[in-house]
Amino acid sequence: MKMSRKQKRKIVTQEASNSGFSGKMQRKLVVLFIIVLLAFVALSLRLLKINREKGDDYKRQVMRQQMSSSRVIPFRRGDIVDRKGTKLAYSEKVYNLVVDAKMLLSDEGVHLEPTMQALQKCFPEVDTTEIREYVNKNPGSRYKIFAKHLPFNEIEPFKEMQKNGVEVKGKKVSDNETEPEMMDGIWFEDDYERKYPGSSLACDVIGFVQGDNTGFFGLEEFYNDTLNGTDGREYGFMNEDSVMEESIKPAVDGYTIVSTIDTNIQSIVEKHIAKFMNEHRNAYRQGAAAKNIGVIVMNPNDGEVYAMAGYPVFDLNDPSNMDNVDLTQFLPESVSENTAVDTEAEEEVSGNNAPEDPMTVARNKIWRNYCISDSFEPGSVMKPFTVAGAIDSGKITGNETYQCNGYLDVADYQIHCHNRLGDGLLTVQQGIAKSCNVVLMDIAFAMGKEEWLRYNKIFNFGYKTNIDLAGETNASELTFNEKMGITDLAVASFGQGFNVTMMQMAAGFSALINGGYYYRPQMVSEIRNSEGAVVEKIQPRIYKQVISEDTSAKMRDYLRTVVMSDPKECTGWSARPIGYTEGGKTGTAEKAPRTKNDYLISFMGYVPAENPEVLCYVVIDTPNTEIQSESTRLATRLNRDIMTEVLPYLNIFPTEEITEEEAEELRAKQDEFSENSSYWTISANELLPENEDETSEEAEDNNEEVIEIPVEEAEPPKDSAGNPIVNNVIQYDPETGYPLDPATGEVLDPVTLLPISPKPKEEQYAPEEGE
Amino acid sequence: MSHGKVKRRHMDYSLFFAVIFLLLFGLIMVYSASSYEASLKFNDSAFYLKNQARATALGFIAMLIISRIDYHIWKGPAFLIYLGSLFLVFLVLTPLGVVRNGARRWLDVGISVQPAEVAKVGVILLFASILSRYGKQLSSTLKGIFICTVLAGIPAVMVLTITSNMSSAIIIFGIATVMVFVCSQKTLPFMLIGGAITGGAALIVYMVMHGIIPETLSYRTARIRAWLQPEAYASGTGYQTLQSLYSIGAGGIFGKGLGQSTQKLGFVPEAQNDMIFSIICEELGLFGAIAILLMFVILIWRFVIVANNASDQFGAFIVTGVMAHIAIQVILNIAVVTNTIPNTGITLPFISYGGTSILFLLYEIGLCLSVSRSIEV
Repeated sequence: MKMSRKQKRKIVTQEASNSGFSGKMQRKLVVLFIIVLLAFVALSLRLLKINREKGDDYKRQVMRQQMSSSRVIPFRRGDIVDRKGTKLAYSEKVYNLVVDAKMLLSDEGVHLEPTMQALQKCFPEVDTTEIREYVNKNPGSRYKIFAKHLPFNEIEPFKEMQKNGVEVKGKKVSDNETEPEMMDGIWFEDDYERKYPGSSLACDVIGFVQGDNTGFFGLEEFYNDTLNGTDGREYGFMNEDSVMEESIKPAVDGYTIVSTIDTNIQSIVEKHIAKFMNEHRNAYRQGAAAKNIGVIVMNPNDGEVYAMAGYPVFDLNDPSNMDNVDLTQFLPESVSENTAVDTEAEEEVSGNNAPEDPMTVARNKIWRNYCISDSFEPGSVMKPFTVAGAIDSGKITGNETYQCNGYLDVADYQIHCHNRLGDGLLTVQQGIAKSCNVVLMDIAFAMGKEEWLRYNKIFNFGYKTNIDLAGETNASELTFNEKMGITDLAVASFGQGFNVTMMQMAAGFSALINGGYYYRPQMVSEIRNSEGAVVEKIQPRIYKQVISEDTSAKMRDYLRTVVMSDPKECTGWSARPIGYTEGGKTGTAEKAPRTKNDYLISFMGYVPAENPEVLCYVVIDTPNTEIQSESTRLATRLNRDIMTEVLPYLNIFPTEEITEEEAEELRAKQDEFSENSSYWTISANELLPENEDETSEEAEDNNEEVIEIPVEEAEPPKDSAGNPIVNNVIQYDPETGYPLDPATGEVLDPVTLLPISPKPKEEQYAPEEGE
Repeated sequence: MSHGKVKRRHMDYSLFFAVIFLLLFGLIMVYSASSYEASLKFNDSAFYLKNQARATALGFIAMLIISRIDYHIWKGPAFLIYLGSLFLVFLVLTPLGVVRNGARRWLDVGISVQPAEVAKVGVILLFASILSRYGKQLSSTLKGIFICTVLAGIPAVMVLTITSNMSSAIIIFGIATVMVFVCSQKTLPFMLIGGAITGGAALIVYMVMHGIIPETLSYRTARIRAWLQPEAYASGTGYQTLQSLYSIGAGGIFGKGLGQSTQKLGFVPEAQNDMIFSIICEELGLFGAIAILLMFVILIWRFVIVANNASDQFGAFIVTGVMAHIAIQVILNIAVVTNTIPNTGITLPFISYGGTSILFLLYEIGLCLSVSRSIEV
C-alpha cells in the first residue's frame, strides 16, 4: 500500500472524527439484512415447494429404499417367569413368508412356476393365485408378506425344496442341472410370537401383547420397556464410491422379568374362585355367583405378592376371544348400574365416553385387574385400621370399654350396629371380634376427625401403593378430606363412605400385623438379561413405619380373636384352616345405592396368627344369595379353602391340635381339592427327615426350599392299611392332629418335623393358647 | 483510541443466547444424525457427539474469554493473522496435510485443523482493520477496489487451488465483498458486478446443459448436471442431493419426530455434516426447518444492531464480516440441501459436525460479543 504521508494523516483525522458506521453504511447493512431475509424466504418457499410437489413421491421413495436395501432384525421380547422359574410368557421365533416379485420374475420368469408349485405344496393356506395376481400387478415389488407367524417346522420342507430343487411336470430340476436354483423370490423373515403357556393363568397380572410388542395391562404393560429390546438392522447403503455396502447391526433382546407370583399358589387361588363361581351360580337369582371376585395372596413381611386373581379369566394367547368367558356380568346393563361411589375410572381403559360396542366395553372390563384397578367401600375390614390409629396416636389405650345398644345417635341419624339388639358392654378387643359398629364409632370420635384423616393418609389410602402393575388406581377422589362431617367420620370408622382398592387394603393390613412396616407391594423381584445374568435385583422396599411395633402386636392379639374365639363371640371363626391359628377381619360393606341391599363381602386373613407368614384377602362383590349381608361366611370359607391348600405348599406347618372330626373334614377337603389339580402338594421327600439328629432350626432351614413334584411323577405312598395316599398330601394323625410321615406313617412333631417316638422325649407339644 | 471510557457495559445477550440455542440444537441433531453410523463404525453411538461436544465446550470457553478481551488488540496484528492463515493453507501441501474423503483439506498438528476456516477469520480481521483506516479510498476508488480484490483473491484462490474447496473460496471472497460493499460510497457498481457474476454462472450452466463444456472436463461440470437432473444421476453424483430431497419430502410439515429419521440410516451420506439440514427437515419437518431459519434471522439481526451501534468502525466491520460469513454459509448450505444450487460441500454454521468450524465460529462470536460490550448505553 503506497500512500503519501499527507494522505495518511488525512485519513487518521477522518477516522478520529467518526466513531462508528456512517448513516449510509448503516443503511447498507440494513439492505444487506433484507437481502439475507429475502434469501431465507426464498429457501423456505423452496422447501415448501419440494414438499408440496414431490412430497408424496419422495415419501414413497424413502419407503421403497428402506424395504429394498435394509431389513429389520427383530429383537426377542423377554420372558416373564414366576418365582420358581416357570415360564408365564415367552416369545417364540416364527417366520413371515415374504415375496420378492422382482426376483420371482427375474431370468425371464423361469422361477415363477416351480416356486408357485412348491408354495402350494408346502403352504396350502397360502393362496398362490393371489400371489400371482400381486406379482403381475407389482413386478417391481421387493417385499410383500403373504403369510405371518409360521412355525419353523412348517417352513422347513419348503426350505429343503429350495435347497434341493423341485420337481416340475415330472422332470426333476436340481442344482446339478443347467438351471440351478429354479426357485427364487421367496424368503422368510424372522419374527416372534408371544406365547402364554398357562393360557388364562394369572391373566390379569400378566397382561398381553398386541401388535408391535406393545404390552397391555399387568406386567406386560408396566415392564414393557424392560421386556422390549432394540431391533437390529441389516442394511445396504451407497458408500462414497457409489458401491452398495452391507452391514448388520444385531438386535438386542429384551430382559426377562422374574415375578414374585407362584404359579402353584396362583392356580390354587384361581381354582377356588372358579369353584366358587360354579357352585353359587344361580344360587338365589339367575346369573353369576357374584358380580366380581378378587383374591390377593401375599407375604405380609416383604410385600411380595404370591397370587392375584379376579374373575372371569380369559386366554392370554387370544385375549379378544371371549367365547369361553362368562360375560353376563359385564354386558352393558350392569355398566349403567355404577353410581358415584361404585364407579371405577372407566376412561382409563376405554379412553372416551362415546357410545361403544358393548363387547368392547365388556372386554375392557374383563382385561382390567380387579385387585388394583377397581375400588369399593371396604366395610369392617377397615375397623382394625381405625383402632390401630387410635391406639398408636394415644387417643385410646385399648383397655377402654364401650356400651353398645345396637345403635348410636350421630347428628340426625341413628346409625345401627349389625346386631340391632346391641352387644352390651364391650372391650376394644371384643368390639373388633364381634365387629361392633358402635364401639368403632366411639373410638373414631375419641380420635377426632383430624387424627382419623391423618392416619388414613399414613395407611396410604387415597394413594397408589405403587405396585409394579399397569392400571393401578388410587381412588383418591373417593376418599374423605377435611370437609368430612361427623356422620362421615362415624361411618368411615367401619369402612363405609369411601373407597379403597384391594391392593391398598392388603398392603396396609400387612403393615398392621408385621410390626408396622408399610412395604411397597411388588410383583417382580429380579430382572435378567437374555443370557440369564441378573441385571437388577428388586429388593423389598419399606415405604414407612405406619404404627409402632407395640401397636402392631396389640393388633395381632385383637385380630387373632376375630378368628380364634368361640364362634358365638367372633365373626371370623369359619375362616380358620384346620390345624392352624389365623388372625383376620371380616367385612360386609353395603354398596351404593343403599336401597338395593347389595353387599360386598370380604375377609382378610393371615396365618399363623402370632407370627404372620402369609396373608390372603378375599373380596366377593354382590354374592348371589338371598340375604347378602348374612353371607360373609362365603368369603371366610373361600379364604379357609385357599389357605388350607396354600399353607402346606408354603411349608407352613400346622401348630394346632386336630380333632378327629377335623381330620376327617380335612381329608375330605384334600380329596375334593385334589380332584382336578395336579399341583397341590408337599412332596413326601420334603417331610422325610433326612438326618434325624439335626436340630430343629436346621430342619426348618431345609423347609424353606419347596420342591414341587407333579402328582403323576411321584409314586403314591401307602398308609398303614395299604391304601395309596391320594396325591401325596400331608395326612394327619386323627388322635393328636399331628402330621404323619407319608412314607413311614410315623407321627411327626409339627414344629421340628422329627418323628415322635412312642415315649416322647419332651413334653408333648401344646398349643400356646388353648380354647 | 478515542472512544470514551464507560462505566458498565453489557454484551448483547440476545446474540449470546441465540448462539447457545443453536449450539445445543446442533449437538442434539449431530447425535440424532450420526448415532447410527457411529455405532456401526466406532461401536459407540455417541462418537461424533462426544467430539462435537468437546469442540463446542472448548469453543464456548474461548468465546467467553475473547468476549472479555478488548477487540482492539486484534487490530494491529490483523495483517499478521491474515498472512499466518495463508501460510497455514500453504502448509496443506506439506506432509502435514491430510487427505480425507478424497480431498486434501486438513492439517494435522496434533489436532486436525481446516486452514480454510482460519483464512475466513484472517480475511475478516484484515478487512476490518484496513477498511476502518482507509475505508473511503479502498472501497470507492478503482485502485482501492483492485487492492481489495487482490487481498481477498489471494486466500480465495489458494483455498480453491490448494485444497480444492470451492465453497470456502466463495465464502472468503463473499465476506470481503460484503464488507467492502458496506463501506463503499457507491452501490451501483456492486449491483453490476453481482449481475455479471450471476449471468456468468447462468452461462456456464447453459453451456454444461447443452454439452458445450464436456462433462469429463471436471467433476464440477458433473455436479452441475447432477444438479439439473438429480434423478438421472441417482446412483452417482446426484445421489447425495437426491437423498437429501427425499428426506425433505419424507419429513412433511411436522416431520417424523426427533430421532425418527430413516434416511440417516446410511442413505444420506454425511448426514451429520453438510446434509444435517435435510435430517432436520425429515425429523422436525418444515416447521422445525423454518424455526431454525428464524433463529438465524434473529442472530443476523443482532449482528446488524451491534454493527450499527458499535463505538468504532473496526468493531463494526468485524461484526459485518462475521455476519457475512454466517449468512452466506447458511444460505449456501440450505441452497445445496434443497438442490437450489449445485452441490458443494458446505456446513451449516453451529449445527453441522466439524470441530474447526465450530471453534473459529465461536471465536468470531466472541469478537462480536466483545464489540457489543463496547457499545455505550
